[in-house]
Formats: sequence, structure tokens, C-alpha cells
Amino acid sequence: MTKNKVVAIATAVAFAAGTVVATAPSASSATTLKIAYQGPLTGPEAQTGTDGIRGVKLALDEYKKTNPKVNVVLFDGGDDQGDDAQGQTVGAGIAADPAVVGVLTAYSGPTIAALPSYKAAGIAIISPSATRASLTDPTSPSFGGPVFHRIVSNDDLQGPALVRVAINGVKNPAVFVVDDQSSYSTGLRDVVMPALGTILAGKDSAAKGITDFSATIAKVKKAKANVVIYTGYYADGAKFLKQLRDKGYKGIYAGGDGVLNSAFPKLAGVKAAEGARLTAPTVPLEVANPKSAAAFKKMFKADPGVYSTEAYDATRMFLQVITAGATTRAEVLAAVKKIKFKNSAGNTLTFQSSGDLSGSGLMNQFAVRKGKIVITGKA
Amino acid sequence: MDLSILVDQFASLTFDGISLGFIYVLIALGYTMVYGVLRLINFANSEVFMIGTFTTILVSTTLFNHTISSNTLTGVKLYYTLAAMLVGSMIVSGLVSVLIEIVAYRRLRSRTTNRLTPLISAIGISIVMAEGIRILTSSAPMGSPRLLEKTILATVWGGDIRLDNVLVIVSGIILLVTLDLFVNKTRLGKGIRAVSMDYDTSRLMGINLNKVISTTFLVGGLGTGAAAFFYITVYEVTRFSIGFELGLAAFTAAVLGGIGNIRGAFAGGIALGLIEMYSSAVFGTQWKSITAFVILVLVLLFKPSGVFGESLQQARV
Amino acid sequence: MNFNLRDAGADFWAKANKWQRYVIALAVIAGLFALPLLQNTFLNTPSTPFVSVLFFPMGIYVLMALGLNVVVGKSGLLDLGYVAFYAVGAYAAGILTTHTSLNIWEILPIGIAAAMFSGLILGAAVLRLRGDYLAIVTLGFGEIIRITALNSSSIGGAMGITNIPNPPTTFGLKFDLDNPQNYYWTILVMIIITVLVIRGLAIRRPGRAWESIRQDEDVAELMGVNTYKYKLWAFVFGAAVGGSAGVLFASKSMFISPNIFTYNVSILILAFVVFGGMGNIWGVIAGAMILSYVPERIRFISEARYLIFGLLLVVMMNLRPDGMLPRKKREKIGEVKGVQSE
Repeated sequence: MTKNKVVAIATAVAFAAGTVVATAPSASSATTLKIAYQGPLTGPEAQTGTDGIRGVKLALDEYKKTNPKVNVVLFDGGDDQGDDAQGQTVGAGIAADPAVVGVLTAYSGPTIAALPSYKAAGIAIISPSATRASLTDPTSPSFGGPVFHRIVSNDDLQGPALVRVAINGVKNPAVFVVDDQSSYSTGLRDVVMPALGTILAGKDSAAKGITDFSATIAKVKKAKANVVIYTGYYADGAKFLKQLRDKGYKGIYAGGDGVLNSAFPKLAGVKAAEGARLTAPTVPLEVANPKSAAAFKKMFKADPGVYSTEAYDATRMFLQVITAGATTRAEVLAAVKKIKFKNSAGNTLTFQSSGDLSGSGLMNQFAVRKGKIVITGKA
Repeated sequence: MDLSILVDQFASLTFDGISLGFIYVLIALGYTMVYGVLRLINFANSEVFMIGTFTTILVSTTLFNHTISSNTLTGVKLYYTLAAMLVGSMIVSGLVSVLIEIVAYRRLRSRTTNRLTPLISAIGISIVMAEGIRILTSSAPMGSPRLLEKTILATVWGGDIRLDNVLVIVSGIILLVTLDLFVNKTRLGKGIRAVSMDYDTSRLMGINLNKVISTTFLVGGLGTGAAAFFYITVYEVTRFSIGFELGLAAFTAAVLGGIGNIRGAFAGGIALGLIEMYSSAVFGTQWKSITAFVILVLVLLFKPSGVFGESLQQARV
Repeated sequence: MNFNLRDAGADFWAKANKWQRYVIALAVIAGLFALPLLQNTFLNTPSTPFVSVLFFPMGIYVLMALGLNVVVGKSGLLDLGYVAFYAVGAYAAGILTTHTSLNIWEILPIGIAAAMFSGLILGAAVLRLRGDYLAIVTLGFGEIIRITALNSSSIGGAMGITNIPNPPTTFGLKFDLDNPQNYYWTILVMIIITVLVIRGLAIRRPGRAWESIRQDEDVAELMGVNTYKYKLWAFVFGAAVGGSAGVLFASKSMFISPNIFTYNVSILILAFVVFGGMGNIWGVIAGAMILSYVPERIRFISEARYLIFGLLLVVMMNLRPDGMLPRKKREKIGEVKGVQSE
């Protein structure tokens, strides 16, 4: 009886303490606006989210230093762990905060899940990394208009680019495609396969987290493939590459932006990863604007990561329209649609009505050299 | 569906299936022995395995200062490094397993006859361990240095026989034989079998229940720790989440072969490894889990205590 | 532990007369309907509006816990794959709303029927197995449903089904994003109906059959209880409740994908049932409410939420192995007239 009493009392005290902490008024004033970043801040994809949110923080910090009339801070929250189901609850929470006038969303799946909330609230989205083509396709049920915009090219561009990069220089290519059954991966695969046409030698789907790729590799061998394209994420991509090489595969290995992660070469093994080819619609901040990259390193004591540039630029887009006078959600959305913005690399960007950038789009190719991923040009 | 791949790659798929199967066998031991003695599904065994994999890597990186880009070793240095990793993993896994028994299950033995309560406790402690490691590793995978060169020893019928796979299979056989001898020939082993057969009578006959149960968990943990070492030797990477997938497969293997029964674990593990390999190749890897479960259901429908199951208790109404 | 809250409550209820019971029941129900009014109090959940939380996760999980309670708590069938029925209901709603012009209310019975059918198939195949074998097979079934959905691009595959429409305006109540309380009230009605049905079954033959199966299946069989039939009943009923929860969930979230319906959900619901006190409706409801509310409330330590949940499970099971409100030691089977007998 006593023990149970103690537990009950302890629980009650903890609960009360938590209540006090959680209901402490947050320091927001009437003229403070918020920008939200919805992305994986914890969980297996946390690195991507961290790289992105740092870009946002850098932009907000630089803005603050200009002593602006309107205060803009980062929304506290927004962690969806890259998971579709969580994206929905997080989106609802972000939309419910009246101070939020703009959102950056990281992954396509959670973006789609959160769209109903953002659409209903009329909040402008500028995504630095959600590449699924259906988000800007008016005929698709996942169409994000009128609120969704993205500052990256979509997978409709990445698919064919990935194919080109993968078979570049290969005589008689026979391509084997593997996905990890995630929504991102199957989406990319569905664009890669038509682009391959007759040179597709086979495909397989190995669920995320799988241990042993032996069966997939057996299929690769039977198909006598000399190019393998993996459309999933870096952790499993590295595992797969390592096992491919261990089983004597000597051909090309290529991946999309999900594989682009500094941990990839080490996890796969430096020798195994040598020469792997990647595509991504992102520019490393060091290449786009060395000054911003230096400021990034100073602020976070870490190098800029994947999509840091795009998150930084997307935030600056929001800040540009806010500085020009937009302070409500409707004003921000209207202004974003008409925006003319100079990004870190010096290019002028505008949006189409579908939400994609105007123009032919940017896609870069990368290669793994001596355990590091380096940019090797446009794809 | 592609049946021709079974012909084309049969040797390769079979070797890989047996190698993977042995890892399942060793993890399955953790489930099957505890079930035999306590009629409890030891859910936390999957996290014991996961902790064993991290231990294996940490032994090589902290005790021997290797990094993920280290070169492979040869000769004596190779042997004692690998031995240290194996022993380290086994000891830590064994201890964690015993600790779990004390923390999560021991009190419940006397306090309730409800079979679900220890199960929920097991699940709870499984969650705690997985989440704890997740927070410590920030969800990132941890790679292992390649210390054993994966030389191809021979190529039989088009299938490569690699050194690391052979190591797994040979060591697995040695461990199983040792375990079998332990259970059948030693006094403590007899105690375990007695408690498996009849819990209450064993108590009446004066068997020290706590000792037997702790030993069971320890032995199960040792086996699981060995599996963790072999897993790292072959796959060279781990993550906080590998417990679930492998644990479920291993438990399926244990039931398939006949739970409560070491030979059943062996048969079930090898069978499952092969089933997964063949079905992945023929149907596509996305169907392997479903194939495994369907086969499990079919087996249980016709042989309710598993392929080698003893009718320790009535399994069928 | 000499004070058994559940026994005390039951004693009070037995002693109260008809009018007192009605008043109390109505007061409680009115109170539950009024819960959305507590939105801006200290009970508010940080990231998501409280009223929204009342529907999901609280309402949905309470409903599912009631369903699983019949299977696990009352009948003693260890089902580790309960999420399968939830998924079937949700996918039925998703597929039918996007391909036909039926609205959610029309789809609700279809979704329930689909779930019941899958429960029937699964049950017929595996209910002859006992105890822990049933556990692993039901777990497998849950995974089979999820993986099949994942592999089937015709129902969305990994990307799931988007743009599931909300229910149409009914009785003047709009079911859009601005009115989460309407969803909550709908599920509250669903829960009340379910509770009444369960209690109705519990005091009649099915309930007694379930109890006897749970206590000792061999003896029940010997005494002439058709255990197979009643186990199947329990299973199918549980599936129906799970399916209904799935349909309602899909209609509010407007988006479903296979990775929502994981094994973790099955474990979560099972934890609610065991935590609350198996077999006991009120315990299960209270347990599900508390355990689904607390993680939302403590989002400020969000990184460790799941860890704390696991810890809670271990601690609770060791301190109160029979749940918060354990069942009575002695079962009272009273006359059908209305004396409760759980």
C-alpha cells in the first residue's frame, strides 16, 4: 500500500511540475511572426532535418542582425521524424499557431500528410527538399496547390538524370533497380524505370532495415547487370553496396538524393564506395556561397549538410516578402507566388503556378572519391 | 515469379541461407529455452541481440583502437581480436539477459498467474533498451571495422563459399553441440529439462528454481551474444532497430522448429534462412516475411507443436 | 492492496437504485460530451489542439482497447496483431471513398463487415492453436496485412491513399478541420454503443462462455461449451470494433499509408488493456485514456517519450500485475435483469 502511494504521489508531482513547465507563457509578442520547419529532427533521418533546420536558423540569425521592424522567430516543434503519420499531427499543430506565416517541409510523405492542415489555413509552404513530383501536379490527389512551393527540382527531373549519370560511359548497360519500399523510394523508382526503358535488367524491393541482401544480389547476378541503381536512403544503401562488392559485383552503383549523406562512404566501406555515383537537386553551400558557408560553420561548429543551402534560401525567401511588408498568411502566400529571389548561387528564381521553380531546373551529380562525396557537375 | 533463379543461383542462395539461418538459430535459443522453462515469450531477447552487436563493435574500437577504416588483420592478432569480440559480446549479452530476468520477470512469477503480465513487462523492457540505445546513438547506424578479410575459399556450383560464412557455420555447430551436451549431460542442464517438463513437481523435488531460471536466461543470452558477434562479422553494421526484425524472424524459427526444444531451434532456424532466401529470389524480397508467416501457419495447422515439437503441453484444442 | 477501487465502485453501483444509476450514468455521459470545453485549461496538449487529441489518439485507442479487451481480456486469446483489423477498416474507407461516391457513414458498415470477414478467416485458421502459438501467428497476420498493403501499388503501395474525404455534413454538424469536436462526439457515440453491446453480451451466454474459456479451456470444453464457436465470436467482434475505429480514423486524417499500421500499434493497444485491468471495461477505458493522453501532454520531452512509455509498462506490471482496476476475485453472475456481472 505504501509503495503504491509513493508511486501515485510521485506521478502526481511529476505531472504537476510538467504542467507548470509546459504552460509557462512563451515569449511571443504581437509583432513576432514565426517560420516553421517540419522535418525529421529526431529519429533515423535526423541528420537531414538537422542540416535543414540549421539553414533556417542561419537565415533567421542574419535577419535578426539587420534590426528589422518585424521580429521573425523559429516555431518550436515541427519534428515529424520523416514519418507520414507524424507529419499529419505536426502539420495540424503548426497550422494551429496563428503566429506562423510560413513553413518549410522536408520530406514528401509527411508534407502530403500535413497538406490538409496547411491548405485549410492558407499557409505558404516553400520546401527545400520534398521532391515528389505529384506535389506540383494539378491532376494528382496529392497536389499541394495553392500553398505548396519548392525551391528544388522534383523527381520527374531526378529520375532521368539519375539514369543518365548511372549509365554514363557504360557499354551495353544492363540496369538493376532496387527500392526500399518507402514512399520516397518507390516514387523515385517509378520515374527511373520508364526512363530506363529496354535497358532495365531487373528490379527488387528490399524493405527498409533489411539485414541481408543476398537474394537481391543473386538476382542482380542472374540478370548480369552492370549498373545498379538504389533509390532508397543512405543507411541501407551503404549496406547493400558493401554486400554487393563482397559478393564480387564490379559494376556501377548509383543512387539518388536519399543516399547523399556524408556517412554513406564510411558505412559502405571506403573501397566499396569508391566511384559510386549520386544525383541530387541540391548544391553544397560551400560551392554556392563560401561566405555563407563560413558563417554556417561559425554558428554551428559543423559543416553545412545536404539541403542546408536550400533551407537557407527558402527561409530568406520568406524573410524577403516579410521585409517587403507581408505580415499575414494571405499576404505572405500572395507575395511568395510573385516573388523574384536571388539565391545563394546568384541565380534569380521565380515560381510557376504549379509551385515548381520556373526554368529548366537544377540537378547535380556527385561521386564518392576516397571516402568523401564530391560534386562532379550538373546531371 | 521467377523460378529459374533457383536453378541459376541455387548454390549461392543455399549457402547464404544456411549462414543466415545459423544466426537465426543462435538467437532462437534465447527464445526457445526461456519458453521451455517459463512458458514466456522472452520479447526482450531481440534487444539483447542488439546490445550484443554494439558490444562487439565497441570491443574492437575501444579495446583495440580500430576504426571503421582499419585494415584487416591476419594471424595471431586476428584470432585474439575476434576471440575478444566474441567473448565480450557473449558475456555482456548473457549478463544483460540475466539482468532482464531479475528486473522484469522475477517478481511477477510469485505475484500473478496471469500470463500476459510478464509479456507486457518483457515488451516494456524491450522498448526501454531499444529507445535507450536509440537516444545514445542518435538513431545513427554504427559500422564495424572489417577485421576479417572476406576471402573466397572456394566456388562450388557457382556459389562462393566465403570465409566469414564458414566461420559462422562452424562456430555455430560447435556452440550448438556444446549447448546440447550441457543440457543433456550436466546437472544444471538436467534441472532445466526438469523444470521444462513439469514446473511444479520440480519445485517439489527441491530444484532451485531461481538458479535454473537464471541459468536458462544466461545460456540464452550467451547464445544470442554469439549470434550478435557472427552478425557483425558478416554484415559489419548495426543500429538500434535491428532487434525487431531479427528477433521476430528468430522467434518464428523457434516456433517453426518446435519451441522449447534445442534441436527444434536448429531445424527452424536453418529452415527459415533457406525459406527466406528462396522466396526472396523467386517472388521478390518484398514477399519474404509473408512467405515465412504463411509457411509457419501451415506447419502449425498440421503439426501444432512445430516440426520437431515435443508435446510438452497440449498445443491444440 | 486492500482497497480495490473496482470492487468499491461495483458495490456502490449494486446498492444504488434505478434512479440513482440513471442520474449517474447521464451525468457521466454529459461530462464526456462536454470534454472539449476543457481545451484551454492546463489539460491542453502543446502541439495539437486538445479536442483533436480527444479524437485521436484518445477516442480511437479507447475504442480499439475495448475491442481487444473482449479478445484478450475476457476470452484470454492472445492477439498480437490487432492492428490488422484497424488497417482493414481504414483501407476499406480509403479505397471506397476514393473510387466510389459512397460517404463515410455508408462505408462504416462495409468497413466493419470487411474487418469482421478478415477476423473470421484468421480465426477459423488459427483459433485451434493455443496460447502462445496464437500470439505469434496473429502477430504474423498483422505484419502480413501491412506488408501486403505496402506491396500493392493498386491501393497506393508505400505512398498510401490521399485525399480521403471527410464525412458529409450530418444533422447540421460540419466535419471539417475547424470542427474536431464533431469527430470526437461521433467516436464517443461509437464507444458508448460498443460498451452497451459488450455489457449486453457479457451477461448473456457469450460472456459466460468467454469467461469459462479464459479460466480453463479444457474444462469449458468438457462442460459442453463450444469453445471454438465462442472464440470465433470474440475474435470477429473484436475485429468489428477495430474496423470501425479504422474507418473513423481514415475519415479524419484524410491520409493513410501502410507504415501507420505497424506492430507497435498492436502492442500499444495490448498495453492499454493489460495496464487498465484485463476484462474490466472501465479499467480498460481509463487505462487507454491515460496512456494515450500522457504522451501528447509530455511532448516537451518528446525525444524520450517512447522510452518513458516502456518504463511505465515495466513499472506498472511489477507494481500492479493485474492492472489498474483488476477484475473481481469472485465473478457475480446475476439475473439478466440488469445486474452487471463482469
